[in-house]
Amino acid sequence: MSDQKKIHDFAPRTLGAGFVHKRDLVLAIILVAFGAFMYYEASKFPEAPAILGDTLNADVFPKMLITIMFLLVAIIPFEFKLTPEKVAKIDKDRDDKTLTITWLTILLLLTIVSFAEFLGAVVTMVITCLALPLLWGERNYIAVIIYSILFPGFVYLLFNKLLGLYFNPGILEAFK
Amino acid sequence: MEDVLRGFQLLMEVQNLALIFGGVLIGVLVGALPGLSSPMAIALLMPFTISLDPVASISMMAALYCAGTFGGSITAILINAPGAPPAVATALDGYMMAKNGEPGRALGLAAICSVLGGIFAIIIFLFATPLLAEIALKFGPVEYFGLTLFALSMLAAMSGKSSIRNLIAGAMGVLVSTIGVHLATGVERYEFGVPELTEGIKFVPVLIGLFAMSELLNQSKTLNAAVERMSAKALKLPTIAELKELKGTILRSSGLGTFIGILPAEGATVAAMMGYNEAKRFSKTPEKFGTGCAEGIAGPEAANNAAAGGAMVPTLALGIPGSGTTALILAALVMHGFRPGPYLISETPHLVYAIFGAMLFANFAFLGIGLVGAKFFSYVTFIPKRFLWPSVFIFSLIGSYAYSSAIFDVWVMLISGIIGYFALRNGFSPAPFVMGLILGKMVEETFTQSMVIYESNFFNFFESGVFIFFIILTCISLTTPFWGTIRKKLAAKKVE
Repeated sequence: MSDQKKIHDFAPRTLGAGFVHKRDLVLAIILVAFGAFMYYEASKFPEAPAILGDTLNADVFPKMLITIMFLLVAIIPFEFKLTPEKVAKIDKDRDDKTLTITWLTILLLLTIVSFAEFLGAVVTMVITCLALPLLWGERNYIAVIIYSILFPGFVYLLFNKLLGLYFNPGILEAFK
Repeated sequence: MEDVLRGFQLLMEVQNLALIFGGVLIGVLVGALPGLSSPMAIALLMPFTISLDPVASISMMAALYCAGTFGGSITAILINAPGAPPAVATALDGYMMAKNGEPGRALGLAAICSVLGGIFAIIIFLFATPLLAEIALKFGPVEYFGLTLFALSMLAAMSGKSSIRNLIAGAMGVLVSTIGVHLATGVERYEFGVPELTEGIKFVPVLIGLFAMSELLNQSKTLNAAVERMSAKALKLPTIAELKELKGTILRSSGLGTFIGILPAEGATVAAMMGYNEAKRFSKTPEKFGTGCAEGIAGPEAANNAAAGGAMVPTLALGIPGSGTTALILAALVMHGFRPGPYLISETPHLVYAIFGAMLFANFAFLGIGLVGAKFFSYVTFIPKRFLWPSVFIFSLIGSYAYSSAIFDVWVMLISGIIGYFALRNGFSPAPFVMGLILGKMVEETFTQSMVIYESNFFNFFESGVFIFFIILTCISLTTPFWGTIRKKLAAKKVE
């Protein structure tokens, strides 16, 4: 079978698409919704005062930009017809489902940042050094403990003591 | 001449030399570690350089950029895991040469060809930057608007998975740059009742999020990937006879790399691939490519390092980034209060020459580091990811917080990282977004000024010949990525 034939076959079979690429259609809808929201927000910007004469209103540039974005986004669902090999590579990445570990990592990072101000810099660093390796499957507990003491200690000495960076004490303030 | 001496004098201060050498070490280290990259390192370093001397800080980043490009080749050769995208082409023959029992020779070739390519580009950089800046000084807003349009259109040809997605990411970056007070009218845009947004989105947390956080999430999927390493007992430099044989390849690749680097948005990765292809095309023994041949290492190595030097030319002379990494250096220039663009060389020429000196120093420094420490740098890949990436997260946290001591910036960093991760999965690279974000203000300013000058009629912009020239270039760069597909389709029709 010639390479060209393979390309013709490849679109409907690999991409699950005949006329449009379904995943990219969903992506385009999300981007259009975002663009529409930004366009709507831009239309609420107040006009420039008359004293400024010919100066463009604040909404002109964003609206122009969003219009260009809409035009580009409209191509996405059909991009597999223009550059099938490139879209196939993107699909390969997308086929690799985001693993539970990635979702858990996102959740952990969000939690750490949520409590960072309350906990303070040093405690946040220690918790990160303990929690992230354990979440990622590290079972050498002694190594994790040593790491969670030495690394934050090194960072504290380097940035706070040597470079004079302010570290929010957080809950450690109570022990001062 | 006085400015050149002043720039070099600044570099000769012990503290500045130490910073530049530190930049080289960090560059080689992050270059060698798959997943870590020079843009990520620069993004993470940026907030910590606020209190340092601005010239030394920028020079350190430039040195890091040069060294990072070479660092990637060490792991490409020894473990077939390119530490940085520009080293992908080097792995093709470098790893094979190492497998054939000559890892030291492969590393030596890579180091020497990188240095030669780098020095070639720096010489061009020294002469081209003032020349280009002089031309750009004659540009008015409309010519500059044309230039920024051309730079943004080059995102279509930028290495990445999809030209359309690169352009959308660039447009998205420009849109994000409009957040905050509109300078011409004083109107607050997209601030959504969040006071921190009135000043606009700060570059640094976004850059850290996009380059470091999204990669951290990406790495969480490959925690158990195993690597096979070649042992390199000593680095073997190529002989004079060998270099004479390779001189054509090195010169051609250096020229090609510098040219590609100078083009806005194009960077070392494209240069390396083209350097490899051209080396193969001109070779008397193209069949040896992929089996461990010297030309297959010399071509991409000279090209990718030359591109790093070339990319600094538009960055410093025009304020238009020559690559993703130089976009970050541009952001650092702005952060330190410099005015990137043609005025940089007329107002602060010593800075430009200091950067030139730092890059020259970096080239010799990484040769020394490569000679002494290649073996050590190949070991850094054995640092367990389970400990490496939490450390990167901590640096990201501190880096984004340190910038203005606000937890809001940490949130910006984390959210940028999460969005960046999902965007990357869908074919959107962070580099075009960053280019858009950094060029955004310039695009809008020059467009607004041009509209005022040309009585709010866009078609009057075409009265400027330079603008027409840039528009033609823009059209060419927008359509280039599709030429190959169209040619293939036409050929297929002919066959049918």
